[in-house]
Amino acid sequence: MTAYGLAPLLLIFPAIGFFFNALFGRRFVEADSKIGERWSGWIATLAALSAFGVALALFATLQANHFEAMVVPVADWIVIPAADFAVAWAMRVDTLSVTMMLVVTGVGSLIHIYAMGYMHGDKDFSRFFAYFNMFIFFMLILVSGSNYLVLFVGWEGVGLCSFLLISYWFTVEKDGKMVNADAGRKAFIVNRVGDFGMVLAIILIFWTFGSLGFERVFESAIEMTVHQETVHFGFFSAPIGAVITAIVALFLLGATGKSAQIPLYVWLPDAMAGPTPVSALIHAATMVTSGIYLLVRSNVLVELARVSFVEQGIGIFGVISAPDLIALVGASTALLAGLIAFTQFDIKKVLAYSTVSQLGFMIAAVGMGAYVAAMFHLITHAFFKALLFLGSGSVIHGMEHGHHHIHHAHSDDHPSDAEEFHDQEPDHFDPQDMRTMGGLRHKMKWTFWTYLIGALALAGIFPFAGFWSKDELLAHANVNHSNVFSAVYWMLTIAAFCTAFYMGRQLMMVFFGKPRHGAAEHAHESPRLMTVPLVILAVLTIIGGSMNLPNISFGGGAAADSHAVVEEGHGEEMVASSKGLTLALEHWLEESLLIFELSEEGGELAAYENYEYPHTPTTLVWVVAIISTLLALSGLLLAMFVVYRKRPLSATDPDPLQKLKPLWWFRILPLETLYMKTVVPAFKWLSDWLAFTVDWNFWHDFVHNNIIRDMFVSFSTFLADVFDKYGVDGTVNGIGSVTKGLAGVLRKTQTGYTRSYALGIFLGAVLLLAYFLWFAF
Amino acid sequence: MSEVTIEWYIALSVVLFTIGSLGVLLRRNAIIIFMSVEMMLNSANLAFVSFARYLGNLDGQVLVFFVITVAAAEVAVGLALIVAIFRTKKSISIDDLNLLKG
Repeated sequence: MTAYGLAPLLLIFPAIGFFFNALFGRRFVEADSKIGERWSGWIATLAALSAFGVALALFATLQANHFEAMVVPVADWIVIPAADFAVAWAMRVDTLSVTMMLVVTGVGSLIHIYAMGYMHGDKDFSRFFAYFNMFIFFMLILVSGSNYLVLFVGWEGVGLCSFLLISYWFTVEKDGKMVNADAGRKAFIVNRVGDFGMVLAIILIFWTFGSLGFERVFESAIEMTVHQETVHFGFFSAPIGAVITAIVALFLLGATGKSAQIPLYVWLPDAMAGPTPVSALIHAATMVTSGIYLLVRSNVLVELARVSFVEQGIGIFGVISAPDLIALVGASTALLAGLIAFTQFDIKKVLAYSTVSQLGFMIAAVGMGAYVAAMFHLITHAFFKALLFLGSGSVIHGMEHGHHHIHHAHSDDHPSDAEEFHDQEPDHFDPQDMRTMGGLRHKMKWTFWTYLIGALALAGIFPFAGFWSKDELLAHANVNHSNVFSAVYWMLTIAAFCTAFYMGRQLMMVFFGKPRHGAAEHAHESPRLMTVPLVILAVLTIIGGSMNLPNISFGGGAAADSHAVVEEGHGEEMVASSKGLTLALEHWLEESLLIFELSEEGGELAAYENYEYPHTPTTLVWVVAIISTLLALSGLLLAMFVVYRKRPLSATDPDPLQKLKPLWWFRILPLETLYMKTVVPAFKWLSDWLAFTVDWNFWHDFVHNNIIRDMFVSFSTFLADVFDKYGVDGTVNGIGSVTKGLAGVLRKTQTGYTRSYALGIFLGAVLLLAYFLWFAF
Repeated sequence: MSEVTIEWYIALSVVLFTIGSLGVLLRRNAIIIFMSVEMMLNSANLAFVSFARYLGNLDGQVLVFFVITVAAAEVAVGLALIVAIFRTKKSISIDDLNLLKG
């Protein structure tokens, strides 16, 4: 059975959904909001579900065809025969892209269903779903593209959708601010910085390898590294290792933008201004993971950068290899964002910083060469973070209804999500402020239980998906020996503890204790459309870990055992162990990750002396698992102790954590403030200078008025007064007067006497005769 | 009594041509000028036939026939012109015909 050809349908269905909602949706909703919403929402949802169906078909096809990758051409795009350059719009169907497709369309469909309940009653209902389908469309382009340029189209497309959806409620607030629109702009502008890196990386790839297709790029990268070729850039040339390192570093810059890492993570917390389903779909489960997808897709380049560093000492400033930098960036982001999350009061901001932190885990995994672990964590994170966001949306929904219950007169506008602090005005109510919640576990049972599952998974408690994926990642960092890896391991372990603590704090503040506000007292459960996706995601969160279970051995010392596996490498044991139920994801993904093939015995990378591919342990590393479980449990318990025992009795009491002053520095310390103090004023000064001094004063006033206009005026004056007057007129009149004078002379010969003419003829004849007589003969 | 040689004929022709030329240049009566032109033509004819006989071929005589034919045509046109001029100007003095004076 080959259904590879179905791949374009993956894009066609969301495109149909988008066009329907963009062109007709508004009419439907305006004509009859109830039926219209149903049409608009269900068509969008069906589009996403159909795409999910196609992804499942592709999954089955891959299973039936021994995971054989296939490139499905859709159309020629850019063809320049003279330069031997062709970029086709082709879709790459392999295990990695299909994994992403399944996550995007599967989680996406559930969030579509949820959004129908959440967005009910919104005046721009169809616009929301049009954007949602457009997002699915671009995200699928991103993950299915068979070359970097198509990937970049998707990359920019999802960025556009992110912008549109963050600023979805772009209304002007009462104080004249446009908080939501500003948040959208911020996300877009911060992402420009990352995309700048992407563009440079793509240009560099094309210059170096003469192609943008994944396969050709990777093949020539390996070949050029093996032969240690030199790349020429006109004025200078560089060894291939340095070029690959630069490419990977630029990819990292792109990933820090899209996947919200240090130094560009600042946009993601603000992106919570969008509707909650947007936060769940785009800013937790799918779009923000595209940086990880990019790096995992480019695993060959990442490993070659590692090889160049180990073998030739080529790194970033000669100090650190590109993958190690990736790992450190990811780990420090994980830690910093985890600390910031301690101090947030907004239920969604906690989750936002948590997302930044978890993305840091994945980026760190990629940097350590644990591509499968990164993808594993990406998938499980998509499940439980989508679940948590949808749960928080449900909580917000419930709080809003509770608030309505007490304030009937209050108008029906949506909350301003981006409010950082709880406003002191007595009548102001922020349904996202956790200090106003409490005791919701009795009011919203479904939300509570599913949220609990998600939170435990995120904290890394044993049977849930988060435990397995986070543990695989930590085990990888622990088992492979290098200074960077150890540092990353400890940073991530502390970050994992932070995760457990802030999730515990959030659970306590939201669901336990007594209601601290009238709204919380009157909150009630959300409709079925919202709770059913929660339940499905909760089930996925529970069983998600089973897709890549490690082998569990009870005999012998745990550490010694795991080392043994690593040392034996990818030999017979690996093949034998992957036959069973365990490591299904690894077995599935390694078909797409060229690096496995290369680092095996006989592969190009196995020949190097110093370089060794950092394999992920295939068995459970007991030390790591026990440490992280203990830390997670202690984090939860500590949070329970701090928040539950000494919880604020009313919404205005200070947080007990505020006694820990240094912790609260993180609320203001992070890069956000730094940027506002340095980069933003500098940039503003620069653009002011460019606008007023360079553009207006110099360019308009000076260059245009003084130089161009004055030169033009004097030149045309010269033309009119000198050239035309004396040159052109003089010539014409001169010809006339010369002709006239000549004629005056010549007319004198015309006497009117016939005899004089006759004499002329005679004389002429005589002259001719004389000429012939004297000269001709 | 010496024999009449070619020189005699040439001399006569020269005299005739000279008289004709002077007539054309000096006289004002159009008829007289016309007659002088005829005289010049005939002096040329005389030279042609003299040379023809002297050289013993007929080329000159053939040319003379052409000249006579052209002269006849010329007379017809020229006299018609003179008559037309006389009708308008009441004069055939060529000094009166100075309309093209510059």
